[in-house]
Parts: sequence; C-alpha cells; structure tokens
Amino acid sequence: MHPRNRMFILAALIYALLGGLLGIVWLAHPGLVPGNVPRMHGHLMLLGFVTMMIYGVGLHVLPRFSGRSLFSERLGHVQFVLANLGLWVMIAGWLIVHNPTVAIGGAMAWGAMILFALNIALTVRHYGPKGA
Amino acid sequence: MKVELLVSEWCASCHDAERIWREVAEKKQIDFAVVDMGQPEGRQLATRLRIRSIPAVVVDGELKHIGLLDRTAATALVAEAPERTQKAARHVGLGLSASSRASVLGAMIWLLVAGAALPLGGFFLDGAARPAALHGFTLGFLLLLIMGLGEHMLPRFTGHPIAGGWLWAWTPQILVHLAVLGMGFGWLLGVPMLTAVGALAAFVALLLFTLRIAPLLLRASV
Repeated sequence: MHPRNRMFILAALIYALLGGLLGIVWLAHPGLVPGNVPRMHGHLMLLGFVTMMIYGVGLHVLPRFSGRSLFSERLGHVQFVLANLGLWVMIAGWLIVHNPTVAIGGAMAWGAMILFALNIALTVRHYGPKGA
Repeated sequence: MKVELLVSEWCASCHDAERIWREVAEKKQIDFAVVDMGQPEGRQLATRLRIRSIPAVVVDGELKHIGLLDRTAATALVAEAPERTQKAARHVGLGLSASSRASVLGAMIWLLVAGAALPLGGFFLDGAARPAALHGFTLGFLLLLIMGLGEHMLPRFTGHPIAGGWLWAWTPQILVHLAVLGMGFGWLLGVPMLTAVGALAAFVALLLFTLRIAPLLLRASV
C-alpha cells in the first residue's frame, strides 16, 4: 500500500479520536473549548474520519478494481496536503469564530475533493465498446 | 519463512486453501500472505514464476505446490518453520471473518434504525431526536461499516497480520452498539449522564480500533 494512502487512513483514525474527544469535552463542559464546537466535532468526524478513510482506501482499491494505475500520484499528494490543511484551517476558523477563515479552509477541502474526483474519474474511465 | 498463497475470488478451491493455510499459520511461525491474482502484485508473482493454475503456494520466492493441499501436507511443506508461540495475530484472506460479518450486519441494523428518521423529516430533525438520528447513522452505520471492512481489507492491503481475539475484534463493535444506544436514549429521554457514558464508550471503541489498525499502517507494506 502506498505510504500516502496509509497516511490518509492514519490521519482518519487520529481525526476520529480528536473529534470524539472534542465531543466528550463539549458534553462535560460546554464552555471549555471556545468557538463553534458542534461544527468542529461534526467536521472532524465526517471530513476528518470518514472522508480521509474513503480517500485512503479509494486511492488504493479503485485503480486495482479498474485494472489500471492511478492517473496521477502527484495529484494524490497535493490532495493529501489540501485535505488536511483545509480541515485544520476550518477548525481554526471555528475556534476563533472567524467565518472568512472557515471559508478559506472549506475551499481548500473542496479543492481536495475536486482533485480526488478528477483523479479517480480519469483512472476508472471506460475506453471499451458500449455495453462491454 | 515467507509463504505466499496465490488465489483468486472466482476460484472455489482457493477459499479452502486459504482456510487450511490460515490454520497452519496459526501453528507455525511463518510470514503468511494471501496474494490475489486480480491485483497487480498477484499478476506480477504469477508472471515471474510462470504460474498458470491456482491455488499456488510460493515459499521464500519459490513455487512449491499447485493445487489444494490438506492440512498435514501443508504443514509438512513448512516443517522447518518453528512452532508459533504468539497467537494474537490473525492473517486475513478472501473470506470475511466472523467479527467482520458481525460488524457489517450491525451497521445494516443501525442503517435501518437511523434511516427511519428520513420519512419523519430527515436526519436534521428538531430537538433531541436530531443528535440521536445523526449519531445512529454516523456511529452505528458508518463507523461499524468502516470497522468491519477495515479489519478485513487493511491487513490484505498492507500484507501485515491484524490483532485478533475478544479485546481487539469484538470489544470495539460491542462498545459502538452500547454507545449508540446510550447516546440515543440519553438524548431522547433527557438523561445527560447516559449520553456521556455512551460518548465515552464510543471514544474507547475508536481508541481500540486505532490501536489495532495503526501498527499495520506505520510499517511499510509488504
């Protein structure tokens, strides 16, 4: 398995722990962590845990299932940086309650999604005759 | 001693071969890997050793046998390997293990339960039902599905065995069920302590799952 894909999955597990911890802290002491904690918890779990897990596993299995190499490993590397950086910036935005920062992070995370979609679409595209 | 079993999803006897070799790997100190012909690694191995039939057994890079072996014959093939002392690691092959099946089935049950929120107005319901429905879907369905498929696929993708047994394979998924129940009823009945206990159970489940999976990811893949 490519080290970048392993790192995607490892990052997913770390985000799951962070998101879970944040949820517990919020339940126990709602005012302890500043900012919009429910949004941080929700995005750490969905964007951090679930999406990163899908990125890591998807980049590994989808080229194999389609019988081709990944269209671009470099796009995958850029996607890894953008996805993680975007999530951190979004979390920072919610921590300091600054919506433009959240928007910048969101744009980066969306950029990672675009790169993933593009990379996978160009990997699994079908060249064969119709109906084959 | 490294033993590679070359198999394919469509080959019926490969499932039996994998079961027999998994039993042997539990007794003998061998580095066992199931290599799928459908993946590039499998095709590369078959090309290199000119293998035209499966299941095929490759020991330390050399083709040793083609076809299905019984347990005695398979053990004899790795007679030089010492007896295994540590039995916690489990090698994963084509078939889903009992814990993976239970996790996936559990995910399907929570999908049905949490999905009941959709005809009632969607996952973003008003009041206490909102977090209950959302966590039923995310924890109950998504997390259990990731746990079940993760423990099946990641050892295969990385080529490393995964820790098994009650603590690692079963406790996390049992905790997830308790967490969804505790958090859901805590919110619906207005008992914050129940929600907190459920949240704690979910965190311990995530921690155990992370500690189980992380060793596979931190080592270079075989």
